[in-house]
Amino acid sequence: MSPLVEGFSALLDPTVLLCIAAGALLGMLVGAFPGVTATMTVALASGFTLSLDPLPGLAVLLTIYVSANFGDRVPAILVNTPGTPASIATTFDGYAMARQGRAGLALTSSAFASAWGTLVGVVLLMVAAIPLSRLALNFGPAEMFALVVFGLTMMIGVSGGKVLKGLVAGVLGLLLATVGRDPITGTPRFTFGLAELSDGIPFIAAIIGLFGIAEVMNQILTHRRGAASKPITDFGRWFPRRSDWRTMLKPMAIGSGVGGVVGVVPATGGDIAGILGWDQARRASRRPEEFGRGSLEGITAADTSSNATLGGSVTTTLALGLPGDSVMAVMIGSMVVWGIQPGPSLFANQPDLVYSIAGIMLVATVLALVVSVLRMRGVARLLELPQHFLWAVILVFCMVGTYAVNNSVFDVAVMLVFGLLGLFLRRFGIPPGPVVLGLILGSLAEGNLRRALEIGGVGTIATSPIAVALLVVSAVALAAPPLRSAWRRRHPREDRGTPTPTA
Amino acid sequence: MRSTTFRLTAAALAVTALTAGCADRGGVSEDTTDYPSQDITLVVPYDAGGASDLAARTLAAEMEESLGQSIIVENRSGGAGSVGLQDLAGRAADGYSIGYLPVETVMLGYQGYDVDPADYDLVGQMVSVPATIAVPADSPHETLDDLVKAAKEDPDSVTVSNSGAGSIWEAATRELGATADAEFRPVPFDGGAPAVTAAVGEQVDAVVAGISETAPAHEEGQLRVLAVFDSEPSEALPDVETAGEQGVDVVIGGWGGIGAPAGVPEEVLDKLEEAFSAAAESEEFRTIISDSGNIPVNVPAGEFAEFVESEHARFEQLLGDEG
Repeated sequence: MSPLVEGFSALLDPTVLLCIAAGALLGMLVGAFPGVTATMTVALASGFTLSLDPLPGLAVLLTIYVSANFGDRVPAILVNTPGTPASIATTFDGYAMARQGRAGLALTSSAFASAWGTLVGVVLLMVAAIPLSRLALNFGPAEMFALVVFGLTMMIGVSGGKVLKGLVAGVLGLLLATVGRDPITGTPRFTFGLAELSDGIPFIAAIIGLFGIAEVMNQILTHRRGAASKPITDFGRWFPRRSDWRTMLKPMAIGSGVGGVVGVVPATGGDIAGILGWDQARRASRRPEEFGRGSLEGITAADTSSNATLGGSVTTTLALGLPGDSVMAVMIGSMVVWGIQPGPSLFANQPDLVYSIAGIMLVATVLALVVSVLRMRGVARLLELPQHFLWAVILVFCMVGTYAVNNSVFDVAVMLVFGLLGLFLRRFGIPPGPVVLGLILGSLAEGNLRRALEIGGVGTIATSPIAVALLVVSAVALAAPPLRSAWRRRHPREDRGTPTPTA
Repeated sequence: MRSTTFRLTAAALAVTALTAGCADRGGVSEDTTDYPSQDITLVVPYDAGGASDLAARTLAAEMEESLGQSIIVENRSGGAGSVGLQDLAGRAADGYSIGYLPVETVMLGYQGYDVDPADYDLVGQMVSVPATIAVPADSPHETLDDLVKAAKEDPDSVTVSNSGAGSIWEAATRELGATADAEFRPVPFDGGAPAVTAAVGEQVDAVVAGISETAPAHEEGQLRVLAVFDSEPSEALPDVETAGEQGVDVVIGGWGGIGAPAGVPEEVLDKLEEAFSAAAESEEFRTIISDSGNIPVNVPAGEFAEFVESEHARFEQLLGDEG
């Protein structure tokens, strides 16, 4: 019990509490701005938090992570634009509810569902992290490789109608991951003689380019064309009635389960979990026909599920040292700089830190919920800020943040190149998310496969029960969707499938 | 409306470019008698927060006291350290740019990078990180001799993890094999901690890593360090013999020192050496380095230069056929 008490009491430091407050404010704000993702904000903020002590620094970053997943629901519901990818599924029912004059109810119930999801995730972190970390010592290169492959197939399995484009994006990411020195022999590959590329493509610069710069450029290009959808101004009733709460119970339970599991799987995050949770709740619902047309169940399931991934992602990251999602990939970088090495030894060396992290997330959740419920109207106002001010601010932050990571102009150039690439992809409707995941998972998959082969050839993988099981599950995940649709073609039944958001 | 947008965007870009430009300003002062008359920049070729960065920052804080000027630590990581080292070599040789020189300074030139130790004036060496070899706690190999025998019986079958391809620890594994006339199989991981974890989890037969990385696991009983590749036993692992004591004469490891771009005026270099020596001798510096598990040293410029030369020659032997 002592690490629990120690970890929680470490948070009573006023600096830490102040950092949580600052992170919550920043997270809510950036979450509400479409295009500014939690990943990008955490990446930018880490340039400034590195000089802090680990705990205040983690307080800022984790709180941004948590509260961005509250703020992003606002534009998803009001203007049908996910504030961050995690709220993609929120748009399915949230925007529909808003159009029906139920925006207030949508915002409030979304906030409660998000808070519930986060709490479930954090409890999972406190309960499962230590057992999982013990298991983690059994995870050598062979098992890691299989796990990463599983992460890759999850991405493909859930991309719904966009399988082909998601695949193109994922493969592009995998190809980009081959840049840099060979992980085993050290031979340079596709580095064009640039020493800066020998450690691979600078990751933070690439994601800031792909998300931030690309989004701003896209908005500048499309500014005049197609009248931007006006924010909803009629909010209707704010608080759920007793009957609403009863409706929300089942989707909350389903969302918690789906989100918890998806969160633990490396490199899958809230965007995928939101869609999956929404889809599962629809299958289990007595009124599936309402899903996508303003269903309270739908928005509840989506938001619970996408936020339940947070705790799971943190668990995976801390226990295995593998990024649980793209935000955690960025956060690992900061942790290493602070001398915190995520992985099994963390729990042996600093068990109280795990509880401090859980504590920060709990405080952040409560804070974000209170702010959401009290100040949702105010946050909604921000969307009325003139867009060109927003663009200028985002551009400056992207440049300064990228430069600050490594004092490197080269990184800024990489960011701009990836901005153009991201713009290009966006114009062709190819999602940038899989590119980033391919970039992260590609080098993990390759390095671990090569290491496994070095250690004992193919036998290293074939003789590991964990690795074989994971690879079989991956194969099933790949084969299931086409088999299911083939089955459906033979046995037709009313099924509307997953709608894709029209951003 | 549209033009406002573009003007604002352009202004934002300009501001950013200016800010970025400012950071690169190089001050050149011709008069050396009043050195140092302005801030000094210390380039660290790795990210902030690592062991090298810690050593450099601690030393810088101590050197500030005797020099009477601020020392600004600038992290320029990338390319296994080559980016920062090249950056340092290209700076003005006026004593206002100095840098942290790791063992990679004498290795990278043989690994396809444009790095040459002749490009630097050496100030002194302040830290030493002897290599160690360790096996899982349950390993059948009780001594270094056991492990070497196993590698001789079945060449290329004993797997030894290290922190990465081209790292000093991979080179140390090869050096051990060459000296003991046995063939080990180096398995590069992505960083020192995963390499040590792989040995703890019995994924590999052994790990070669710096003493600061293996000593904690040895104390916890997760690993058994078989040998320290140093000329004398380490305070951190008093119960472990050196490789030499076990009949395999290998002394290898990481090290770190301070250097400047070649061509710094003599009197400026003297002042730097003096400040360096006082800082490396300070209680504060020695404590922090010892606490991080490494060995604080204070090697003067002349001796350090000879050492660097011999290391450079050694790695030409060890790595020459790869590059």
